[in-house]
Order: sequence, then structure tokens, then C-alpha cells
Amino acid sequence: MSDLNIAVNVKLEPDFSEGNVSYNADGTLNRAETKSILGPHSAVASNAAFYSKVLYGARVAVTTMGPPIADIALQQAQLLSDADELHLYSDRMFAGADTLATAEVLKTGISKVDGKTDIVFSGHRASDGETGQTGPQTAWKLGFTFLGNVIDYYVDMQSRIVRAKRLISLQGFYDVVEEVEAPLPVFIAIDPSYKASFNTVSQRLAFEKYQKEAKGRAQNYKQYLKVFNAQQLGVDPKLVGLPGSPTIVYKVEKIPKAKASRKAEVVEGSSREQLAKVATKIFEVLGGLVIK
Amino acid sequence: MKYQHLYVVIEHEDGKPVPVSLEMLGEARRLMDGYNKRYSADEKVVAVVLGNNVRKLCEELIFYGADAVIYADSAELLHTRNLIDTKVISQIATNKELANEFSDVPRFVKPRYMFFSADNVGRQLSSTILAELESGLASDINKLVIEDLEIRHEHKTKGQAMKYERTLEMYRPDFSGFLWTTILCLDNRNPAIEREYHPQACSIIPGVFAPLERDALRRGKIVDFAPKFDERDLRVKIINRKIVKSAVDFDSKKAVVSFGRGIKDSPEENIKLVGELARLLEAEVGISLPISKKPFIVSDGASSTYMIPDRVVGTSGRKVAPLLYIAAGVSGAMQHIAGMKEAGFVVAINPDENSPIKHECDIFIRGRMEDVIPLLLEELRKKKPEIKVKK
Repeated sequence: MSDLNIAVNVKLEPDFSEGNVSYNADGTLNRAETKSILGPHSAVASNAAFYSKVLYGARVAVTTMGPPIADIALQQAQLLSDADELHLYSDRMFAGADTLATAEVLKTGISKVDGKTDIVFSGHRASDGETGQTGPQTAWKLGFTFLGNVIDYYVDMQSRIVRAKRLISLQGFYDVVEEVEAPLPVFIAIDPSYKASFNTVSQRLAFEKYQKEAKGRAQNYKQYLKVFNAQQLGVDPKLVGLPGSPTIVYKVEKIPKAKASRKAEVVEGSSREQLAKVATKIFEVLGGLVIK
Repeated sequence: MKYQHLYVVIEHEDGKPVPVSLEMLGEARRLMDGYNKRYSADEKVVAVVLGNNVRKLCEELIFYGADAVIYADSAELLHTRNLIDTKVISQIATNKELANEFSDVPRFVKPRYMFFSADNVGRQLSSTILAELESGLASDINKLVIEDLEIRHEHKTKGQAMKYERTLEMYRPDFSGFLWTTILCLDNRNPAIEREYHPQACSIIPGVFAPLERDALRRGKIVDFAPKFDERDLRVKIINRKIVKSAVDFDSKKAVVSFGRGIKDSPEENIKLVGELARLLEAEVGISLPISKKPFIVSDGASSTYMIPDRVVGTSGRKVAPLLYIAAGVSGAMQHIAGMKEAGFVVAINPDENSPIKHECDIFIRGRMEDVIPLLLEELRKKKPEIKVKK
């Protein structure tokens, strides 16, 4: 038994990297032609969990809700976090869920993880949905303290207290770095800028040990994988999927092209003469005076 | 009516409203003016303020469109904290006596509509509050309409056509910036899963809606609320709070040079060129949203310096208004345009004249950035020694 039990909620998302992502002619995402991978923010959350593995020998479970192929997201997260347990919550009944109905599944899933969970990590937000709502809603349903935009954390194992740094951007004012303390259990949505650092020799040795272990485990990830359908999970069918979603997508339309707000002068990019004029204009705009 | 009014959750820093708070109030006022004429004159725009010694702010909010302000004042509410704020706002949103203070219509159970800001604070707060209130939430909205809709939905209405009155249509641009999704929060009227979902709530993108002109003659009521909390609600302690300057500084620079997916043919090289151009013009570097998803493999330095959310210009990032904006390899999705349209002078560098950016710039340089920027740099360098910057 470990003294610290961690769960990570991850998501399978479209791979937005060039060569893998495909866009339709109108600029929208071509989902059929775009591969799916572990979402980049989910990867950061997995890194944050791995930090606890290295520092505190934490036990790590990675969980996701999605179609059967979402197990590849779990595998990729295991490679990053050296997870001891992988959970896939998969049922046609879950399809079409909004954030509240998704949070219901993820919350119930945490109760199926071995041991009593102390920290749940999630990414900042999914790169396709981009709501950033599922994490905090899962936290609230769990009754865990929610800490968002976390850029750094450590756990005082004696007092069972988490100390975290949060980066909050106050639009129109400035950024604030806030240091907070909260007793376990907590739910941490990790900021994209989070970077784990391992400073001592023993930390680096542990890092290497677990990283090697993670490679082996990820190769045999199916040994660690448990798949739950709605019944096995024991969720209330009225609270998940479309029936459990307060919101619906009513319509999807192309955003109408805005009226041209400026009239562009077209300049040939290969013409030095024309670019020289652009250069002059640029300095004019910036308030410079051409003195010659 | 069990569900009444439009509650707007205000964000502020020591009593100074965050701009989006006034923008939300402005849009709330416009929507409810229409609502008051069409449906009922009794329903109000209600601002919700948590803070410590910020009564002055409450008065201001009335001048900016609120009919009523519910004000929770406590030393514990000095700085926003998700846990306690969620508790207090949820108490406010379900408190009938409070609503009766500014409304003559009894039977209030919950707000009909609720607005939050789609920033670091409001995004998370809206999520936890709507989890507590067990209703629907749409994020990052940039257009709102109240309408009677006929809905036929497999689950909501069991396939029957049904009329949903006074429904809030919440328009949300997707990540590509080219699609608009309309989200509705609807009661389940299907007898098998019957359930009411109110408030209909959303978070609103900063910088989209215009605030009202301040009108000191506008009247409204401030209602005090004494929040109740126990030790458990206070279990998050703020140890330290430090104001930091973002590494990315759009505000004090006269110019911004942004790049987008047009770097694709030689990403590393192109990012270098953009960096050089920015240095020469003493400009800050911006990016389009897709770049923040790190779609290209470049050196760690280029990736961690440039392909970061802090640099995103647009509705998912920052609004900028420099004297000069150079968009290199940016196609010009609506959500990017919204972040730079206030710029003084816009230069686009793009090989494709059909790109939407062409309609949003003053000079369109036709060509790939890897071909154009080196020439442009040379011409700028030739001119630079002749330039004296006006102080």
C-alpha cells in the first residue's frame, strides 16, 4: 500500500500536429482523417502524477471515459506516469455526454480505483472541446477541493497537506501567482506551463527507475487495463450520456464571414521596391520620422 | 415562475471590476430589455458581488446596467477562492428571500439565466457552481439570443415536437474559429427522465460585448447578504499572493508580430525570422490559437518560448491593439481577428489571397513568409538608421 494515491483523468483528442491533423477546405477540422492521441494537457497531468511517483512513491491510476480505442490514450499516459492501474469507462450509453454527465462518470470511476484517492489530476482543458469544465465539475461531485491553473505543487506527507502555486491571469490587469494550502484530498487541474523538476540525486535515480518501469508497463498496458461499462461502474443511467446532459447542441453553422473591415493594398512579396515602401510605411506607423 | 432573473457573477480586483464584468452587464441589460418588453417586466438583471469593503463597486454596477446587486461582504471573501465562492454564490442563487428584496414576484427558486466570465476565475467558478446547482453550462460564448424554440429531441422530448419558451441560445465559436455551435440548456420533458435544468448558464468571452455607457442616474437596489460558512469551507488558505509581470507583454509594445500555421514548410526557420522581425521593430510576438497546440516539431527553445497559450491573440487568448500588427502566415479565423481588429495598422504576409486575413489588413504582402520576411528585414534595416523615433 502506498501512502499517496493518485488518479489522473485523461482524454483521447484529435492530434493537432502537422501531418496528422487534417482540415477541410473551409478551415474546419476533418475528424475522419485526423488521428487521435493522448491530449497534450492530459500529458501534462500525467507528468504531474509522475512527479508524485518519484518524490513520494505514489500509486498512480489513469482513468478515461471514451470509446474502446481510447485505451491508446491510457497507454500513452502510462508511459509518462508509470501508472499502476488503467481504467477505461466505455459504454454507448455515455456517448454525447456534456461536461456534467461526463463528470458523473469520472466521479464514479474514482470510487473504483484501488485505495482511497488523495489527489486527482486533470489537464487544463481538452484541445478539441476546450471547455475546461469537466475537471472542476468532477472535483465538485467528488467533494474534493478544486485547485486550478496549478504550476507547481508539493505534498507534506506528515500533515497530509498540499501546497500549490497557481498562475491566474486577471484579464485587463496583471497575472497573479498565488500560493495556496489545502488538506488532502484535492483535485488539481494542472496548468500547461507546469514542468516537473528533479533536483536531488536520489530523485534523479528514482526518476530513472520509474521511467524504465513505465516503458515496460506501457508495452504490456493491457495487463493493467480494466474496462468498465455503465452497469459495471454502477452509474445511474439518468445521470450519464445524453439523458444526463442538461445541454444539447442545437445547431452548428459556419461563422458568417465578417464584412471586410479594411481595404488592403496588395503588395508583391518578391518586389524589393514595393517592400521598401512597406518598410517606410511601417516606420511611419510606429511614429518614426524619416529624416532623410 | 420558479425561475426568474438573470444573475451576473462579477469579478473584480479589490473593487475594480475586471472589464468583462461590465461587458457581461451590458449584454445582460440589452437581453433583459428585450425580455422585459416581450415576456415580463418583473425580471431583473442581478449582479452578484463577493468581496470585502467594495460597496462602491456595487453602486457602480447599477450605473452600468444592474437592476439589483446582491453583495456578500466578508474578510474571507477578499480574494477569490473557488471553494468558498462556489458555496456563497450557490447560496445566493437559491435564496428566495434575497430575490424578494428586489422583486415583487414570489415563488423564486433559482435564477433563469446566469452569466460568468470565461477567464481563469470564472471558467472554474461557473463549472463548480453549475455542478452544485445541477444544471447546464456552456463555455466561451460570444453571441446570445433569447427565443421561443420548437424542439424535437430523442432524449429531451422523446422525439415529440415541443415548445421551449424563453430559451437562451448560446453561441460558441469552436477551436478552429470557423464553426459556431449553438448550445441550449433544456429541461428533460421526456417522462422517463423528467427533470428541470435551471439556470441556463454560460461563460462569456472577454472583449466581445460592449459595456453600457456609465449612467449615474440609473437606479437600483443593493441587497446585502451575510454568507454562512464553516471551517470546512475555509480549508483552502492563501499563503502568498504575488503580482507578476507576464513574460509576454503586449500592452507596452507599439507593435505585435504574429505567426500562424503558415510557418509549416520550415517552422524552425520561420519562427527565427519572426523573432528577428519582432526584435528589429521592438515588437512582441503573438501566435494564432492552433500554434499553441504545438502542431510542429521545433527545437525546445522555440517551442517553449513561442508556442505557448500566453501568446495567443484572439478570443481564446489576448486582445491586442498595437499601432502596428503584422500577421505572418495567419489565415484570419474570426476568433483571431477578434483579438487584433483594434490594431492601428495591419500588415499581412500570406501566399493565399483568398485568406480571410486579406479583408482585415491594410497591406497584404503576397508571398510565403520564408521568402518575404528576409527581404522585408533587409529593407527595414536599410531604413532603420534614418529613423528617429518620436518620443
